[in-house]
Amino acid sequence: MNRRFFLKSGSVALASVGMSLSAPSFLGRIVLGNTPVGGKRKTLIAIFQRGAVDGLNVVVPFGEANYYELRPSIAIPKPGNSDAAINLDGFFGLHPSMSAFKPLWDSKRLAIIHASGSPDNTRSHFDAQDYMESATPGVKSTSDGWLNRYLRSKQDKDQSLFRAVSMTKTMPRVLQGSAPAVAMSNLSEFAIRAGKSSENLQGGFEAIYARETEDSLAGTGRETFEAVNYLKKANPAQYQPENGAQYPRTPFGTSLLQIAQLIKAGVGLEVAFTDIGGWDTHVNQGNSRGQLANLLQQFSSGIAALYQDLGQRMDDVVVLTMSEFGRTVRENGNRGTDHGHANAMFVLGNGVKGGKVYGQWPGLKSDQLNEGRDLALTTDFRDVFGEIATRHLGSSDVKSVFPSYTVTQSKFKGFLS
Amino acid sequence: MRKTVALILLFLLTQPLVFAQKHRSLSEEQRIIHVLNRLGFGARPGDVERVKAMGLEKYIEQQLHPEQIADSAAETRLRELSVLNMTTAELYEKYPQPGQLLRQLQARGMMPEEMQADAAKNNQNQPPANPLDNEKNRKVIEEYYRDNGLQRPQRIIAELQASRILRAVYSERQLQEVMVDFWTNHFNIFANKGADRWLLPAYDRDTIRPNALGKFSTLLQATAQSPAMLFYLDNFQSVSPNANQGRRGGLLQPLRPQQQQQQQRPRRGINENYARELMELHTLGVDGGYTQKDVQEVARCFTGWTIFQPRGGGAAVNAMMGEAGRRNAGTFFFNARVHDDGEKMVLGHKISSGGGIKDGLTVLDILAHHPSTAKFIATKLVRHFVSDTPPQSLVDRVAATFTKSDGDIRETLKAIFFSKEFNSTEAYRVKIKRPFELVISAIRTLGADTNGGPGTHRWIERMGEPLYGFQTPNGYSDAAESWVNTGGLLERMNFGLALANNRVQGTTVSLAKTNGEQAKVMDEYLKTLLAGDISAATREALLKQLEPSDPATKVVGLILGTPEFQRQ
Repeated sequence: MNRRFFLKSGSVALASVGMSLSAPSFLGRIVLGNTPVGGKRKTLIAIFQRGAVDGLNVVVPFGEANYYELRPSIAIPKPGNSDAAINLDGFFGLHPSMSAFKPLWDSKRLAIIHASGSPDNTRSHFDAQDYMESATPGVKSTSDGWLNRYLRSKQDKDQSLFRAVSMTKTMPRVLQGSAPAVAMSNLSEFAIRAGKSSENLQGGFEAIYARETEDSLAGTGRETFEAVNYLKKANPAQYQPENGAQYPRTPFGTSLLQIAQLIKAGVGLEVAFTDIGGWDTHVNQGNSRGQLANLLQQFSSGIAALYQDLGQRMDDVVVLTMSEFGRTVRENGNRGTDHGHANAMFVLGNGVKGGKVYGQWPGLKSDQLNEGRDLALTTDFRDVFGEIATRHLGSSDVKSVFPSYTVTQSKFKGFLS
Repeated sequence: MRKTVALILLFLLTQPLVFAQKHRSLSEEQRIIHVLNRLGFGARPGDVERVKAMGLEKYIEQQLHPEQIADSAAETRLRELSVLNMTTAELYEKYPQPGQLLRQLQARGMMPEEMQADAAKNNQNQPPANPLDNEKNRKVIEEYYRDNGLQRPQRIIAELQASRILRAVYSERQLQEVMVDFWTNHFNIFANKGADRWLLPAYDRDTIRPNALGKFSTLLQATAQSPAMLFYLDNFQSVSPNANQGRRGGLLQPLRPQQQQQQQRPRRGINENYARELMELHTLGVDGGYTQKDVQEVARCFTGWTIFQPRGGGAAVNAMMGEAGRRNAGTFFFNARVHDDGEKMVLGHKISSGGGIKDGLTVLDILAHHPSTAKFIATKLVRHFVSDTPPQSLVDRVAATFTKSDGDIRETLKAIFFSKEFNSTEAYRVKIKRPFELVISAIRTLGADTNGGPGTHRWIERMGEPLYGFQTPNGYSDAAESWVNTGGLLERMNFGLALANNRVQGTTVSLAKTNGEQAKVMDEYLKTLLAGDISAATREALLKQLEPSDPATKVVGLILGTPEFQRQ
């Protein structure tokens, strides 16, 4: 059986109609696709919390008097009380529904970067997500996402078709661009889906695309079926959760489970992305219990399950969480919080120097707040992304990943060595 | 390996043959098919014959004047989509956000008893859950929607999407629909940005449609004054930093859901977002010769171009302004009090102080008549109608027509449709259909019946082109490279199979029974779907796949997934 990959970049030569003089780019880039291409490659799993999570109730600064002052009904009690924050370092604590993270903190595999985010002051979800994904805050015309620019900046010698996978229905902004990436809402849907006739019909399409030589689409068609067949053979679904990991039975939990399956199947996954919404808690946010608590429980238990499931493989994996901005320090009239500024990010992995809250803490006194209302920003998200791109993924051209921004080692927080 | 090399060699050998076809003009039959594909969304059964009988020239002329084409079949199909005829104010009223509704009821003391009781309970120490997360409250709200004839806001965009699908499939005014698609994408708006969901039906009806084939300057001004664009690109909150906002807070801040107050609160200062995109994406193009200083000056000119009640009125406004306030919610207005009335300099033109609303109008006039705009619009139109790599000579001629006709879109299009480049084999079936075009053309060529509902739209979304679903202002790409990728192509094949097997909800295809003569059946469908334009290799591969027992659904499903059907 022909198990060769016809691989090419995202660009398509319109060869059939003589619009392009260049030979199709898959020429000369034919590689053996028989063996798993992943090996020991490094993988980043990026998770976007869409809607702006209230970082001050996630990584709680219980050492700040003003925190309790400004949040009379939604604050998380100090350690020692019932429903209290989980003490991390005597000043910060985790939301009590995130107990799944505690063992990872204790074993120094979970790092927190607090007061981090976008330097742009927009309070629009739309713009802020856009900026976080393009990593060009304030510039809307950037056409590609930073993870795509990363892929482009580094040659993949294995040319894996599953180098970048987004477990989302459409390609997220962060992975849009000229480097190939695959978006799918579910692994089981990456196939010809026609019930009993699926195999027969796939065979039909394969035959059509194999014979076609005039149309540049045919190259993509062949590539598609190589990928479908490769995935079928790799059969990631065969990998059941290990080490007693239990994923939440939610779309988020399923996405994480399937990312883990792709890693175990050795398909060459380098960048994985997924997202989880529902963080826009303007009304009745709750404190130790309530809507934010429920969502944080799902969020943290999902990531902890992934960690447990991947076990030793976490040597080569980093999980990064992000959200477009934080929320107001003061609770509003509806026992919720409004759009704010800086936020907290998590970085997890066996190679992470965890057990520490990184970043300068700006304080919560009124004169320390951004515009008198929000947690001020002390770490630009590009310094966090840059550290991961450089030290974990091994990018040597980080300048092209973060245009018009200087990413230097001196700005890194040091959560990776 | 040997096979691969052979394939590649064959591929290379075919190249010169393809080039030899350059500049050959199309046959009469091909021209008709080409026009039906490019000026419309593909030929329905019988369309080619109808155009032949009428004469192609006359058909094109007619398409350029949609107002003269009767369109009762499409109009009948649209009858049940009630959002299309509602004002924005009515949409705010009939399609409220559940959270907003809840708050309004609270504020008016009109909350159903059950929920009052819950609210009281929630006042105790235990933090309450989101009232809408609670089964009982959800039921009460649901009942309130039902009892008062209200609908969820998601419904608005679902109906608008359905109207676009139905019109593209059934309207006789095919070019009008193609241009609506083109301009909607050129002046892109994302439905999920704040209030835009409520503002988009008016945008489609009052801004894009009436101007799709008119003067570019009129269309440009209509978009500049459309609440949907003012909201999407933030101009509605762009104010002169020196402006005295006075009573603004009192009048313009009625009851609003908390989550919206944040974005809504007028920030004192200029917002450059619209000014930048206006030049970069709507008129001059990114290299059109403007500077950051121009962006700032243009932004100053548009301060005060805003929306009356951008998120709907509500009780407070009604109390203060009565019926007029209610009726005008979500419409354009110029707020002179927040306008920067100083002198400005835009692209070398001095705009004197004290111009008020005229400042913005002057800017639009300068931009609509700028040579960079003619070039930018001509390039985009040629890319859309002719090829991904627009021939420079044609772009120049089309730009000249645009300028000479004072930006008359109809005249500009004529320059394309009657050009030798458009009517050459080089342009024939080279454009990759975007997902919307693929779905519509499949339904049309098969003569299928559709209700245009979410079942159909979901496929367009899966293939990556949800209508009003593109976040950033640049709109969907019109070039093949954005649409040809593994995931996307797989979904195209799956769509073809689903359609042929009647698994697209709300859409029905009736295929003739096959009688065992596979080659004949296949050739009939190749004629229906592709006018027989299929490569020998594809035809041979197709035929090999078919067995006498195979149903027509297989033949059609496979043809819809061929490389040939992805092109137009």
